[in-house]
Amino acid sequence: MNEPNFLPEDAFPGNDDPPRKKPSPTDEAKSARFRTRLTIVLAVLILVPSMYGFVGKFYEFVRIYRGDWEGSFAIAPMLNYLLASGGFLCLFFWATANRMFHDIEEPKHAMLDNEQRLDQQLGGKP
Amino acid sequence: MTSDVKPLLPRHDDLVNERLVAWYFLAALTFLTVSMLAGLLVALQLIRANPLDGVELLSPARWRMVHTNAIAYGFLANAFLGCLHWAIPRLTLRPVASVALSYFIFSAWQFVVVCTAAGIILGPSFQAQDWVAELASQFHISMSLGAQGVEWGETPFWIDPVAQLGLLLVAINFMTPIVRQRGPMYVSLWYFMAAFVWTFLTYGMGNFMPEYVVGGVSGGAVGGLFIHDLVGLFVTPLGWGLMYYFVPIMLKRPIWSHGLSLVGFWGLAFFYPLQGIHHFLYTPIPMFLQYGAIISTIAVELVVTTVVINFIGTIWGDGEVLKKNLPIRWFYCGMIYYFITCFQCALQVTLTFQKLIHFTDWVVGHAHLVMFGVFSMWIFGIMTYLFPRLIGRDWYSRKLCEIHFWFSAVGVFIMFLDLGLAGVFQGYYWASLAPWDVSVTGSQSFWVVRAFAGLMMFSGTLCFLVNLYLTWRGPVRELNPDIDVAPALA
Ligand code: HEM
Repeated sequence: MNEPNFLPEDAFPGNDDPPRKKPSPTDEAKSARFRTRLTIVLAVLILVPSMYGFVGKFYEFVRIYRGDWEGSFAIAPMLNYLLASGGFLCLFFWATANRMFHDIEEPKHAMLDNEQRLDQQLGGKP
Repeated sequence: MTSDVKPLLPRHDDLVNERLVAWYFLAALTFLTVSMLAGLLVALQLIRANPLDGVELLSPARWRMVHTNAIAYGFLANAFLGCLHWAIPRLTLRPVASVALSYFIFSAWQFVVVCTAAGIILGPSFQAQDWVAELASQFHISMSLGAQGVEWGETPFWIDPVAQLGLLLVAINFMTPIVRQRGPMYVSLWYFMAAFVWTFLTYGMGNFMPEYVVGGVSGGAVGGLFIHDLVGLFVTPLGWGLMYYFVPIMLKRPIWSHGLSLVGFWGLAFFYPLQGIHHFLYTPIPMFLQYGAIISTIAVELVVTTVVINFIGTIWGDGEVLKKNLPIRWFYCGMIYYFITCFQCALQVTLTFQKLIHFTDWVVGHAHLVMFGVFSMWIFGIMTYLFPRLIGRDWYSRKLCEIHFWFSAVGVFIMFLDLGLAGVFQGYYWASLAPWDVSVTGSQSFWVVRAFAGLMMFSGTLCFLVNLYLTWRGPVRELNPDIDVAPALA
C-alpha cells in the first residue's frame, strides 16, 4: 500500500496550499531598494574585475605575440579564453542594445506565471 | 509586469516529451549505479579487499576511469539532458527543434558512453593483439585504442568525433526554441544557452588539442583548462540554470533578484575560463599565468556569493518548507555544500595550501562533494519532483525518499571530511620525506571510512531505485486536463 503521498500536498506548485501573506507596499518598496543597491554593488565588484581579467589576458596575448618566449606555449589556452570571452562580450553588447536588460525583474514574474498556468492545465495536480 | 488579459498557453503535452525525459533519467540512473559500483571497487582495492583481484578486464585502474566517465557523461549528462527537455520547452513555450532528433541524440549519447566504457575496459587488451598493431602501423594510427591520455577526456580518440557531433546536435536542438524567444530572457535560458556553446568548445579543446595540436607543458595547460571548464562551463551553468528554474516554481515565488542572477551569469562567463591553470600550480607553466588563475579563482567566490544570496533571499521567511518539501531540501542542502566547496576552493588555490594538499586525497574529497554533494543532489531533487509526474503515480514510499536523502547527504559529507583529513595527513607524510609506503599505510583507516561512506551513499541510491520500481508498479493517478490551450508555438 502507498504511504500518504507527500509531493502533491507539500511540494507541488498549483496545489491547494494557503496563499502566502503578502508583504505591505512599504516593505515591498524597501526590499526592492535594497535589492537594487546590492545588485549594483555586486555588479561593480564582479564585472569590473572580470573586464580587468579580460583586458589582462588580451595584454598577455599581445606580449606573447610580440615575442615573450616565456609564455609562448600558453598561447593555446589563452586564445581559447579570448575567443570564448570575446564572443560573450559581443553577446553582452548585443543583449544590451536589444534592451534585454531593460525591465530586468520582469522575466522572473512572467516565468512563474507561465509555469503556474501550465500546471493548471493538469488541474493543479501532477 | 504581466498584463491582465493573458494569451492562451500551449498544451504541456505539446511542449514536453515526458517519455524522453523519463528515458534520460533511467539511463542516468543506470550509469550512476555502474559508476558507484566501480567507485566501490576502487575503494575496496585501496584497502586491499578487492573481490575481483587478478581479473585483468576488471582491474581497478580501468574501473577508476569508468567510475569518473560514467558519472560525467553517463549520469550527469543524461540527467541534465532529461531536465532540459522539461525546462527549456516550458520556459520558451516552444518545443525543441525536433523530437526525432531528440531520440537520435538520446541513442547516440548512450552509444558514446557505452563505447567509452568498452574502450577503457577492452582497449588496452585489444591494443596488445598483433593484428591491431599491424592495422595501426598500416594506417599510421599511433594513438591508444583505449583511454585517451587526457584527464576527464579518457573517451577513446575514435569516439571523440561522434561525441563532438552529438554535442553540436544537442546545441541545435535546444538553441532553436531559445533563439526564437523575443524580449528579455529568464536567467536560466542565459545559462543554458552559454552551456551549449561552452560544452561544445570545451569538449573539442580538451579532446582534440592535446591529442593532435599541442604537446608537452602547453598540452598540460590545455588539459588544466579542460578539466576545470568541464566543471565550470558544462556542469555549473546547467546546474545553476536548473536551480533558477526549479526553486522558484517549487517555492511558488519568484527568484529574489533577477538582476543579481544576471550579474552572476556574466561574472561566470568572464571569470571562470580564467582559472583553469589553478590545477597546475607549482608546474613549469609561467608564474604570471598561475597567479592570474589564483586571483580569478578567488574572484569567482564573489560570483558564487551572488547565487547564494539570491537563493537565501528567495526562501527567506519560509524555512519551514525545508522540513516538508523534500526536493527543496535536496536543492538547499546542495547549495550549502556548494558554498563549502567554493570556500574550500578559495583556500586550496593559494600556493601555501597547495604545498600541503596537492596530489593528496583532499582533492578527491573536494571532487566528491562538488559532483555528488552538489550537482547530483540537485538532480535527485529534480527527479524526486518530476518522476511522479512522468509516470503519473505518487511516490510509493516517502520513507524511502527520506532515506535516500539522508544516506546521500550524510554519506557524502563523511566522505568529504574523511578524505580532507586524509589529504592533510598525506601532505605531512610527504613533506617529512618519509617513504611513500608510510603514507599509504597511514591512509588505510581513512580509506576504510571512505568505503563505508560510499556504501552508505550507494544504499541511499538503491532505496531510490527500489522506490521508483514500486512507484512504477503502483496505481495511476487521475488527471484533469480540461482546460483551454493554444497550439505550441513553432
Ligand atoms: C559508492 C560511492 C563512491 C565511492 C566508494 C567512490 C570512490 C572513489 C574512488 C576510490 C576514487 C579514486 C580516488 C583516487 O584515485 O585516489 C574516486 C574518484 C572520483 N569519484 Fe568517486 N566514489 C563514489 C561515488 C562517486 C559519485 C557518485 C561521484 C560523482 C557524482 C564521484 C565522483 C568522483 C570523481 C570526480 C573522482 C575523481 C577525483 C579526482 O581525480 O580527484 N564518485 N571515487
